[in-house]
Amino acid sequence: MSNAREKKHAKKMRNQPTNVTLTSGFGITDEKGVKHHNGNEKSFHYQKQEPHAGAAQHQQPKSTHVSSEPCMNEQPSKGHCKGEKGKGQAGWRGGHQGATREIPKYITASTFAQARAAEINAMLKAVTQKSSNSLVFQTLPRHMRRRAMSHNVKRLPRRLREIAQKEAEKTEHQKKEHSKNKCRKARRCHLNLLLEFNRRQKKNVWLETHIWHAKRFHMVKKWGYCIGESPTVKSYRASYRAMTNHCLLQDLSYYCCLELNGKEEEILKALSRMCSIDTGLTFAAVHCLSGKRQGSLVLYRADKYPEEMLGPITFIWKSEDGTITTPINRKLWLWTHPTLKQDILTELKVVCQCVPLPEVAASIPEVVLTPPEEKSHIEQTKNCKKRKRDDGEKNANNPVKKIVGDGTRNPFQPYSWTSPATGIVISDLTMEMNRYRLIGPLSHSILTEALKTASLYTGIGDAETLPHSWWIETCKNPDRVAVHHHQEAIFELLGGIASPAEIPAGTILGLTVGDPRVNLPQKKSKALPNLEKCQDNEKVRQLRLEGVPVECSHSFIWNQDICKSVTENKISEKELNQMRSELMVPGSQLNLGHRESKIPILLIQQPGKVTGEDRLGWGSGWDILLPKGWGMAFWIPFIYRGARVGGLKEGLIHSRYKGAPSIPDDYPDCPAGILFATEQENNLLEKYKRHPPAKRPNYVKHGTLSPFRCPWEQLTRDWESRIKAQEESPVSPCSSANGKSDTGKEDTCVVEGEQVPQLTCETEALQDSPGEPEEMMDTDSQGATMSRDTTDEDICGKNGGRAKSTFNVLRNRKLLKYLSAWCQPVGRRNQAVLRASRMHQQELTRATCLSILCSYPRSLVWVSLSLLRKGNPELHTMICIPSKEDFLRLNEDRLYCGPQESKHSDPFKAKARKQKEKKKTEKGQKQERGTAGESRCTKGCSEVIPGLWLGPLPNITDHCSRTLLGFVTQGDFSLAAGCGRALGFVSLTGLLEMLSSQPADKRGLVLLRTPASLQYRFASIIIDI
Amino acid sequence: MVRFKHRYLLCELVSEDPRCRACLEERILFNLVRDAIARAHGAFGAAACALAFTVKYLNAYTGVVLLRCRKEFYQLLWSALPFITYLENKGQRYPCFFNTLHVGGTIRTCQKFLIQYNRRQLLILLQKCTNKEERESIKKSVMSCSLEQQEDELSGSESEEDATEME
Repeated sequence: MSNAREKKHAKKMRNQPTNVTLTSGFGITDEKGVKHHNGNEKSFHYQKQEPHAGAAQHQQPKSTHVSSEPCMNEQPSKGHCKGEKGKGQAGWRGGHQGATREIPKYITASTFAQARAAEINAMLKAVTQKSSNSLVFQTLPRHMRRRAMSHNVKRLPRRLREIAQKEAEKTEHQKKEHSKNKCRKARRCHLNLLLEFNRRQKKNVWLETHIWHAKRFHMVKKWGYCIGESPTVKSYRASYRAMTNHCLLQDLSYYCCLELNGKEEEILKALSRMCSIDTGLTFAAVHCLSGKRQGSLVLYRADKYPEEMLGPITFIWKSEDGTITTPINRKLWLWTHPTLKQDILTELKVVCQCVPLPEVAASIPEVVLTPPEEKSHIEQTKNCKKRKRDDGEKNANNPVKKIVGDGTRNPFQPYSWTSPATGIVISDLTMEMNRYRLIGPLSHSILTEALKTASLYTGIGDAETLPHSWWIETCKNPDRVAVHHHQEAIFELLGGIASPAEIPAGTILGLTVGDPRVNLPQKKSKALPNLEKCQDNEKVRQLRLEGVPVECSHSFIWNQDICKSVTENKISEKELNQMRSELMVPGSQLNLGHRESKIPILLIQQPGKVTGEDRLGWGSGWDILLPKGWGMAFWIPFIYRGARVGGLKEGLIHSRYKGAPSIPDDYPDCPAGILFATEQENNLLEKYKRHPPAKRPNYVKHGTLSPFRCPWEQLTRDWESRIKAQEESPVSPCSSANGKSDTGKEDTCVVEGEQVPQLTCETEALQDSPGEPEEMMDTDSQGATMSRDTTDEDICGKNGGRAKSTFNVLRNRKLLKYLSAWCQPVGRRNQAVLRASRMHQQELTRATCLSILCSYPRSLVWVSLSLLRKGNPELHTMICIPSKEDFLRLNEDRLYCGPQESKHSDPFKAKARKQKEKKKTEKGQKQERGTAGESRCTKGCSEVIPGLWLGPLPNITDHCSRTLLGFVTQGDFSLAAGCGRALGFVSLTGLLEMLSSQPADKRGLVLLRTPASLQYRFASIIIDI
Repeated sequence: MVRFKHRYLLCELVSEDPRCRACLEERILFNLVRDAIARAHGAFGAAACALAFTVKYLNAYTGVVLLRCRKEFYQLLWSALPFITYLENKGQRYPCFFNTLHVGGTIRTCQKFLIQYNRRQLLILLQKCTNKEERESIKKSVMSCSLEQQEDELSGSESEEDATEME
């Protein structure tokens, strides 16, 4: 029976009398008191003073007369009788005692009387007190019911009013406090609505498109923002189609931008400590440094590579603008995910030796140097005031303004830090810009249709009165005008290119566009590529090959002042509509002339799928950066051109199909990833616990040790110790064959000895370069491992007790390339072999493995898995190593689906049962003892959850029949590939071990098993770089 | 609302032996009555009455017992009750018999009847008692069993008692 139902029953039976029996050992007073008196039959504790219970009488003072005070030793039992009249009871008791003591002959008579009296009391209580679950007016017979009784107490008969009043109060308390002080009309009026909205975005930042999203999306509060998770309409397939064939729009304004301003060499020097050349291109890559392309990389804590990952970022250098600004000072924008921002920011401050700007800190009380955001607010109020005066209203001192940008930021908190030593200024530009992402081949057409480049200013004279003075200034400069024309020409060319994938990855294009609201179409339509423009001339070819020239990546969005003025001088929606309504010909194009805003924007090409062999360039698109305040003005035009909007879920699907790790799910070695894992575990556990044990999988029986989180740390540790044990085993005679094969392999290694040392050198070099060489790997004795563990722990201790992960994810591109080649079976490797010969590919041997393992003892490798036949991988699916028999059976039967795991026994079953029994008895006691039992009961619940492994996990690698290699972090049926696809991590140690033991034609085959199933499925490992 | 209709039999267990009451328990009583029905009406009777048959309330001190049965078959139960002559527990037999006080359609009516009945009993006891102290104690118990609503009623009855005393 469910808890709620029990409660309901208990409530109903609250006033009903319980059974009263004489137990054989009724001399013991306390027991009886507990057992028979359930609050309503208070008087029965006297019955024990019947002839048998003479002993008990010693406790009582001899009193022949009526004593009006209750005896002390019976006080506790009295606690159970609530609501009774103490006076009456005491009096009755005293008299009785006198009688029982003196004349045994009459005892029966008086006890007889007392028993009846008590029974009458109990029955009276049962009869008179209402104990049903219904409301008072529901108990009335039908003919006495009246309309609106539940609202108006006076409609009830008078005798019931008091109770009904109480009930009504109770329900009112339960209801949420709703501000009914204003009528709906007043609440919906613009000013009050704005106030309410501002109040609601105090805690979590709202994006500018929040209201639009909130009407159409499931909103979640995440990372301090309110973000749409997925549309309320069905959209799984539709969003995939939009990504492949049409266009998907995402609001990524919650991404955080950090600006570094300083000398180029200084910035590069500082940042080089945080990244490594092993992981790919760094900040100093030529294309990126010129400001032509966007770069992306993974940041590490300073000098800690390959450990202590901070998170992935993308970055843009401001293009050098030789003529006006000094070429020495450069600006760099780092775009990070909000969960990673704090870590990266603090580390940046450390690296650049930054302190908060002293003036800002000092000037907080005065309003001289308020942060720009606040200024903008003040500006906004001014605007507000102006408008109100125009309207003729006088209450202009009302400080209501729309929040633009970050509503939660504390104005007194510094947002900018400068370093006296290096001259670098770090500023936090979170929510200062909007970032939208268009994914799909039609994003070109949408962009070119929705945006029109700004018209040049040609008028002369009244430059001061117009709001867009910066644009007039620009138009006076012929160089600027030339750049603008060039940008316009390239933007026109974009319309003729079929897909964004054709343009080099990360291309940046700066633009200045007019107000997109002006040429909004009447109806929502779909933008289609213009076939006339699709000509293959020289210019288009050049654009495809080289991307946008450097000078065209310049944009005014880098200039904070211009951005601010653009934000402030935005024509409001209302004014625009007013002007539209005043048009001579309704529905004709609105011509604002010089009052039209010019908005500087930045377009960044986002590469789609860059790894792997199939579907290259899938999911590519454009990111568009806008100054704040202009979010909705661009959003609606995009949607009117046929873009489909996606939320977080669609973003996840996008990254899954791209084969790219998503943030922060797939970065288990960064702090945000660890946090995410614990949150996810809690959520899943809660969901699991909501089902009764019979309606949920018993993970213990399935042999799934941790269904809700991936124990990476233990996985890597177990694999390490496993390898060590194997290396020790050649000494023992039992595995001589193993040793023989080892020697055989060593021979091969000698043959190609010239290459192997080279690799080891390399790995050693890699190992040395980060600055923290790990000189362990004396793998002879267990003592070594012990000392090793302790050193690791020491490292942990050094890091200030922070939960540091002892594993890391392999991001060394060279090693990953080797692994990728090794993973492919020989048959398919023709191309790969060719490629491998080009880059001096190592053959997979024991020695190379060992050398790799030396440098990366506890590493994980990001792999993508493709199922061979059936199977739909899920979250936390286990990746296992197939045994030899599995391969044999696969060879015999091509339709062989995979082996089955035998059912495990549940060692916690007895414990769970015991706990259940205990709970039951406690429940029984609870009825008598009230709350005391309840608290203990809840404590017991947290101990054993039936179906989950209890206590510390045993060795997870060989808990099941197949050896565990890793876990899937993202998996689903792939609409693109037509089979199950998964992404996950495997232990590097285990992967090498598996590859070296597998036959060449079956290399890279693994088994997948979902947590709630016993069936293994074959899948092949692919490592994409 | 559709519901199963029941009959509730409010009975009194009368026994000479005080030890009989000591062994009055729900389970024992249940078995006792069931056996009695089986003896009196055979397998059919036992099965018919076993449907929804429970002991709803039991008070060993007063010997009051409330039995529930389906409305269709309560007469089988009722007619079987006189055949109970012994209460058997742990090999000991105590002679006793059941006195049916009331047959009601709801627990509530039975409870109401029980209040009336007990009050009557107390008054009879009060009238019959000879000793002063005893009278006092009974008075006390009568007083104690009054809730607020019954107070005036009770005072009325007490005045009656006083009147009888005066005689």
